[in-house]
Formats: sequence, structure tokens, C-alpha cells
Amino acid sequence: MDHDALRESTGLYVLGALAATDREAFEAHLATCAVCAAEVRTLAGVSNALAYAVPQIDPPFALRSRILMDAGAPRQTSSLSSAVPALESRPRAASSPSFVSSGWLSAAAMLALAVGLGGYAVSLRQRVGGLELQLRETVNRLDRSEQAVAVATQIAERAQVRVAVLTSPDLTQVNLAGQRPAPRAIGRAFWSRSSGLVFAATELPQLPAGRTYQLWFLRGTSPPVSAGLLKPDGSGRMTAAFDTPASVGTSTGLAVSIEPDGGVPAPTGELYLVGLTQ
Amino acid sequence: MWFMWALAVLAGSAAADQQALERMARGEHDALAELYDRYGRTVYSLALRIVRDQGDAEDIVQEVFSQAWRQAGRYDSGRGPVVGWLLTMARSRAIDRVRGRRVRPAAILDETAALDMPDGARLADEQLEWAGRASQIRSVFEELPLLQRMAIELAFYEGLTHSEVAERLELPLGTVKTRIRQGLLKMKDRLGRE
Repeated sequence: MDHDALRESTGLYVLGALAATDREAFEAHLATCAVCAAEVRTLAGVSNALAYAVPQIDPPFALRSRILMDAGAPRQTSSLSSAVPALESRPRAASSPSFVSSGWLSAAAMLALAVGLGGYAVSLRQRVGGLELQLRETVNRLDRSEQAVAVATQIAERAQVRVAVLTSPDLTQVNLAGQRPAPRAIGRAFWSRSSGLVFAATELPQLPAGRTYQLWFLRGTSPPVSAGLLKPDGSGRMTAAFDTPASVGTSTGLAVSIEPDGGVPAPTGELYLVGLTQ
Repeated sequence: MWFMWALAVLAGSAAADQQALERMARGEHDALAELYDRYGRTVYSLALRIVRDQGDAEDIVQEVFSQAWRQAGRYDSGRGPVVGWLLTMARSRAIDRVRGRRVRPAAILDETAALDMPDGARLADEQLEWAGRASQIRSVFEELPLLQRMAIELAFYEGLTHSEVAERLELPLGTVKTRIRQGLLKMKDRLGRE
């Protein structure tokens, strides 16, 4: 294979997706071609950056100590647990018998004791204040964590639907072409009857106020069934996932029409995209 | 590896990472704790994304940091930043697990456990210096044309091979090859420019 053909493999190579024989051939070329080697170095950086494109999630707290113990590190105590025994030890000193036994305790000694106890009470209050602050921070953190989990769960659910569709054994691809009102628009659908529909489109014209795009399953001579509403972004692009409506039956293709806001039970407006199942 | 360097330098940690490894090689456990505190979450998040199972992801993080502990002395800084080394280890271990699992196809779709975390979890979009860059990487990735993104996603995060990606997307081998390369080049262009 020549340089141009091999150069196309740089992406697959850095992602580790080349089959063994292809990889060997590519590595042999790489050893002699500075252009491809430079491209591989550049793309390896991008491939590593992909590691950061995933939602960042805190590992369980216990994992840290497991790793440190695994490496033979001594057990660590937290600052909170070391603060608690200190609190307990002080009252024990204050109630020790030497302070209550003698009747001849001088006023000066009583004063010293009162001052000492007063000082202790102040430090106790400060410590309790500190602990309350820690508690409030922890509760706040928990709140933030719970909100983030809700967001993460939503993201995961959406991603799950898409992966389920793309990995279904009954996946069908439908390419939709722009119609008269939007000749440059392009749509692509990945449809699995069992798992749902992933739909993407580009170059859809801006919607006038009060209108929406609606996606339809075509069913030959039977009336179309709505798959859902589409909201393109400012540049006319959109990607969305839908469930397969129960009433689809046999579908012969997909179409997008413009409809009043909120959608309609049967298409009324002009068609913007149409594609038939191959 | 230009990009990893840029990230590590941004986080002000490239030199600190190198020092941490040197201290780990001398048996200083504090240095391991330091490295874990800096990258534990990043490594865990990547592993979890690929294996989609909390227990497996924890095992992988433990293996990665154990290996880093054992091999700290042999690490050659010419190979690039430490974080890249950790992430490469994590990804290859995670993909090994996923590929091993693929014998039972049903397991791939079983993702329900992925985000069920008892110890609290949160997205990284706060606090860490990485966060700004991480969300930028995410948005650059999200902006790729659909098929480029899907092909990269299947190869990088699902560990599919060239022919498996082609089969999954019902595209010719040559198209998949080109889409992946174009997608990565486009990402490099956008990330490098900003």
C-alpha cells in the first residue's frame, strides 16, 4: 500500500482500532515516514483528550484507602475523628477528684478554676462552631452531589437510549433528503423497532414563531404516525432520540413536516425532509 | 502528545507529577496519595464510561495506581506526561474487560448500574482546573458531524475494532477509516486554535 492509503489509517491507529495485520503494516510504514509519524503524534494527543470528554464522576471514597493500603501505606485518620476524642478527654480532667476534695480551696484557686473553665467553655464553643460549619459544608456538598447525580442520570439515560438503538440487531438506517422548501437540508435516522429512533438533521431553516418540525413514520398507503417534535438549534442542526410508537406497524420511511406548535395528530404542513427505508 | 502536555501544564502539575513518581519510586506513600488525589477521578470517570460498571471501574483504578506504584521508578518522562500514562493504562484495561465481556452480547446493553453510586457523585464542571478545558473538549466533540462522532465514540469508548465499527454503522471500511481521521483532525484543529 502506498503512503496516501496508509495515511488514512492514522486515526484508527491512535484509537487502537486497527486489526493486528493492518497495525503491523502501518507500523512498518510509520518507521520510515516522518509525515505519518508526525500526524500520529498529533492525533495521539487528541485521542488522549477524549478521556476528558466523559462526565467526570467522583470515585467512592473507600477506593482511596484501598489503593493506599494496597501499596502498603499506614492507615490514616481523618481530622474529624481526631477532634472527637479531644473533646471527650477534657471534661474528664475537669471532674477529677482533686478539684472537689478540699474545703480550704482558696478564693484565688476557685478564681483560677473559674477562669480555666470559662476558657474551656470558649474553646468548646469554638470547636462546636467549627463542627457545625463542617456539617453545613457537608450538607451543602451533599445537595450539590444529589443535583449532579440527577443531571448525570438524565445524561446517562439519553446516552443509553442512543447506544441501545445503535447496538440493536434490527438497526435500519434511513437517509432523508431535503425537499422544495429546504433543498440543502439533510436528515439521517437510525431506527430499531425494539429500541427506538436516533435522528439527526442539518440545514433545517429557522422556524417561524408558533411553528415546529414534526417527524413522521410513513406507512405506505396507511396514515403516517408521529415520532415526535424536532427543535433545531440556531444553525439548523439537531439530534434527538425517540421511542418507537406502538402503532407504527410496517414503516416504509420517515418524513419531516412543518406544523403548528405542539404538533398535530396527522401531517398538515409542507414536507421538508423525506427518506424511504431501503 | 502536545495536548496532554498543554493540559498538564495548565494544571501546573507536569513537574509535580514527575516529582511524585520519583518519590513513589523511593517508597513514599504520600506521593501516591497525591497522584491519586490529582487524577483518581479522571481515571475513574474514563474507566466507568467504558466498562459501565462501578465495581469493574474501581478495580481498574486500583490496578492502574498499583501499577504506577510498582513501576514509578521505571517511568521515562520522555514518553509524555504522567496523566497520559495513567489514562492509557486505564483505557486499555477497560477495553480488555469490555472485549472479554462481548462474548455475552446482552452485557453490553446492561448499563443500568453505571451511575448508581452510593458514595455520592458529581460532574466535574466545578472546582478542578481541568473542568474548563474538559467541558470545552466535550463541546468540540459534540460538534463533530454525527457519523464522525459515532465512529470515534464506538472505537474509543466502546473499544470496537475497525471492522466492528463498520458493521455497527453499516458503512464501508474505507468510510469509517476516513471519518475517524477527519473527526480527530477537526478536533485537533478546534482545540489547538482556542
